[in-house]
Amino acid sequence: MKNLNRRDFLKLSTNSLLALAGILGVGGLLRYLSYQFDSPPRNEFDIGPQTDYPLYSQTVLPHIPAIIVHDDDGLRVMSLTCTHLGCMVEPRNFGFECPCHGSRYSVDGKVFKGPAASNLPRLRVEKSEDGNIHVFRT
Amino acid sequence: MNDTSQQTPNPGNKRSFTRPLLAVVLIVLILAAGTLNSPRVKASPQMQGTATPQLLPTPTFDLSRLDKPVVTGDNSDQLKKGSIIYWGVCLTCHGDRGQGMTTEWRDAYGDDKNCWQSGCHGSDHPTPGFEIPKDLVIPPVAGPGKLARFKNAQELHDFILASMPWWNPGDLTDEEAWQVSAYILRLHKVMPTEFELKDTNASAITTLYAVPQPGNDRPPVLILMSVLGLAAIGLLIQDLRKSKPGAAERPNFFHHLHPPTIPALQARLRYTLGAGGLAVFLCLILLVTGILEMFYYIPVPTHAAISVETITSLVPFGALTRNLHYWSAQALMIVVTVHLLRVVLTGAYARHRRLNYLIGLGMLVLVLLLDFTGYVLRWDEGIRWALIVGTNLLKAIPWIGNNLYQLAIGGAEPGLSAIERFYTWHIFVLTGGMIVLGSWHIFRVRRDGGVAVPPPSQRTDHTRISRYDLLRREVAFIAVAGMILLAISYAFPAPIARPITEATVDIESARAPWFFLWVQQLLKIGQPFLWGVAVPVLLLLVLALIPFFLPQADEQEYGRWFPKGNRIAQILLLALVLIVILLTILATIPTAQL
Repeated sequence: MKNLNRRDFLKLSTNSLLALAGILGVGGLLRYLSYQFDSPPRNEFDIGPQTDYPLYSQTVLPHIPAIIVHDDDGLRVMSLTCTHLGCMVEPRNFGFECPCHGSRYSVDGKVFKGPAASNLPRLRVEKSEDGNIHVFRT
Repeated sequence: MNDTSQQTPNPGNKRSFTRPLLAVVLIVLILAAGTLNSPRVKASPQMQGTATPQLLPTPTFDLSRLDKPVVTGDNSDQLKKGSIIYWGVCLTCHGDRGQGMTTEWRDAYGDDKNCWQSGCHGSDHPTPGFEIPKDLVIPPVAGPGKLARFKNAQELHDFILASMPWWNPGDLTDEEAWQVSAYILRLHKVMPTEFELKDTNASAITTLYAVPQPGNDRPPVLILMSVLGLAAIGLLIQDLRKSKPGAAERPNFFHHLHPPTIPALQARLRYTLGAGGLAVFLCLILLVTGILEMFYYIPVPTHAAISVETITSLVPFGALTRNLHYWSAQALMIVVTVHLLRVVLTGAYARHRRLNYLIGLGMLVLVLLLDFTGYVLRWDEGIRWALIVGTNLLKAIPWIGNNLYQLAIGGAEPGLSAIERFYTWHIFVLTGGMIVLGSWHIFRVRRDGGVAVPPPSQRTDHTRISRYDLLRREVAFIAVAGMILLAISYAFPAPIARPITEATVDIESARAPWFFLWVQQLLKIGQPFLWGVAVPVLLLLVLALIPFFLPQADEQEYGRWFPKGNRIAQILLLALVLIVILLTILATIPTAQL
C-alpha cells in the first residue's frame, strides 16, 4: 500500500466502483426475477361428499395427490407426494413405491426403503358446512 | 301396437360387432322395441297418415339411408371401425348424420317417433331397457357450430370414453372411443382424412373448424436426402483429386473464415474426429429449426403441448423440423462429449489452451441445460416428473435453495411462470450464452494456433492445405452429416406424450431424459443435495482442474492419440466417463417389484 501512487489509486477506485455497480446490478436483477407472477398454489381441495368414499374404500386423488382411506377409524387422507424429490408414489401390494428413485413406503406411509428420509405425511381433513370433505395440503 | 314381427331393419344386427357386449345390449333393445311397436318398414307415408293421425304430417324418411354407415371419404381402419360402432350404437339417438334427435330423425322410427312415450323409453320401459328423461337433450354431434363444448378431439374422446353410451357409460374401450371420436369428427367435417387420431395429436384437432389436410412430407424429404448425397459425392470426388483453385479464384466470405493455409496435420479426421466442426454444424441446425419451431410454439401451460402436437402432426414439414431439432440436440450431447474425450485423450488442452478448455466445459454445461429446458418445453406427460425432480433438486441446496427454486420457476410450483422462464432461458439466455462462448471458443482455437499439432521444427509432415480445400472438405462433411441427420429424422420421430392435465397423472414415464439418467441413478442412493447437486458439481470441478493440477502432454506429443505426458488425466477422464455410462445403464434396468 506504501507504493500506491495517485494513478494506481485512481485505477483501484474506478475498478472498485465498477465492481460495486455490477454487484448492485446483480442484486437488482435477482430482486426483479423474484417476483411471483403465478397465483399461489391451491392448498385446499374440495373432494365432494363423504358418501363418495364408503367404508373400507381407498381412493387415489391424483390432483392433490393423495389417497383417501375410509376404515373403522374413520376417514384419513395421506399425501402421495414422495418426500424425496416430489414424484407421485404408486400403490403396490406392500404399500407405495416412488417411480422416480425407488423409495418404498408401507401401507400407512412409513418409509422402509430409501432414498426418501421421511414418511408420507397425513393431510388434514375437514367437513365443510355443505357436507363436503375438504383436504388441506400444507 | 303389439305386432311382434321382426322386420325392423335396424342396421345394428346386420353385422358382427367388435364387442359382443354392445351387440347383446343392442339386440335386446331391438327385441324390446319390436315386442311393443310396429316395425319401421311399415312407416310409409300412407300408413303414417292413417295409423297416427294425431301427429303432424312429416316429410318422408328415406330408410335406405340406414343401410350402411354414412361414407366419409376415408379408408383408415380407425374410421371404419368407428363408423360401425356409431352406426350400431350412437346412431339410434344421435342420428345417422350426427344431426341429433331431430324431428326429421325421429321420423325414421315411424309410429315410434315419440321415444319418451310409455313402453319405449318411458318410465314403464321393458326390463332390459332404460328410461330417457323427457327433458334430456340429445345433442347433434356434427354440423356447423356443433360440438362446441369440446375444445378439441382429446376432450371429445375423454367425454365419450367416460360418459357414452348414455345408458351404459364407460362401456367403450379407449381404442373404441378414439374410433368413434374419429368418425364423429369426420361427420363434423373438421378432421383431415387418413389421420389416425391418438392422444398425442388429438389436442391439435379443434372441433370449431376444418383442420387443413396435412400433406405427405415423406417424398420431398427423400428427394432432399438424395440431392444432399449427390452433392457430398461430388465434393468428395473433387477432394480426392486435390484440385488446385484457379488463379482467378478469389476467397469468398467463408474462405476468409479460415487461414489461407493450414498444416495437413490439423485436418486429419482420425485425429480430430471432426467433432468440433460437427458440433458447430449441429448448433446451426438447432438454431434454424429452433427458430422455425418458435413460429408455432406457444409457451403457456394450456397450449404448449397442443402447439407441439400441431407442429408434429399438422404443420407441413413440422414433424421433420421437430425431429431435426430433437435429433440434433441428442447428437450434440454425444458429439461434445466425444470432443471433450478427444481433447483430453490427445492432451490438446495443455498450457495456453487451458482457457479454451474451460470455455468448452462451460459450453458442455450450457448444452446440458439447453437439452433439459428444451425437453421440459414439451410440457406433456413425458416430462412431468423430470421437471418436478429437476426443480426440487434446487430446493435441496442449503441456504439458497428456496431462492434458486423461486428464480428458476418463478412461483411456488411449476406453472405459467415456470414455462415462461424455461422458454426465456432456452431461447434467449442459454442460446445467447452458446453463441458468445462458441464464438470465443472458435476464436481461441485460431488464436492458440489452430488444432494442436507439434511445433513446425518437430513435424514429420510439412504439407499444408489451402482454405479452398479445407472449405470443400467441410462442406462435404456437412453434406454427409446432414444426410445422416435427415435419415434419422425421417425414420425416428421425436418423443411426444399427451398434454399435462390436472385430472390425469401418467406415472409410466418417471424416467429422466437420457443425459440425466446417471443423476437419477445417483439420486436413488439418498440425500438429494449430496447426490443430485454436490456430486455432479464435483465431477465438473474435477474436469475443470485437469489442466491445472495434472501432468500435461509435451508440445511434440501434440497431434497424437494417448500421449505419454498426460496419462493420468486420460485414465481419470475415461474412468469418469465409464462411471457415468455404467450409472446410465443401471438407471435403465427396471427395479424388481415385490
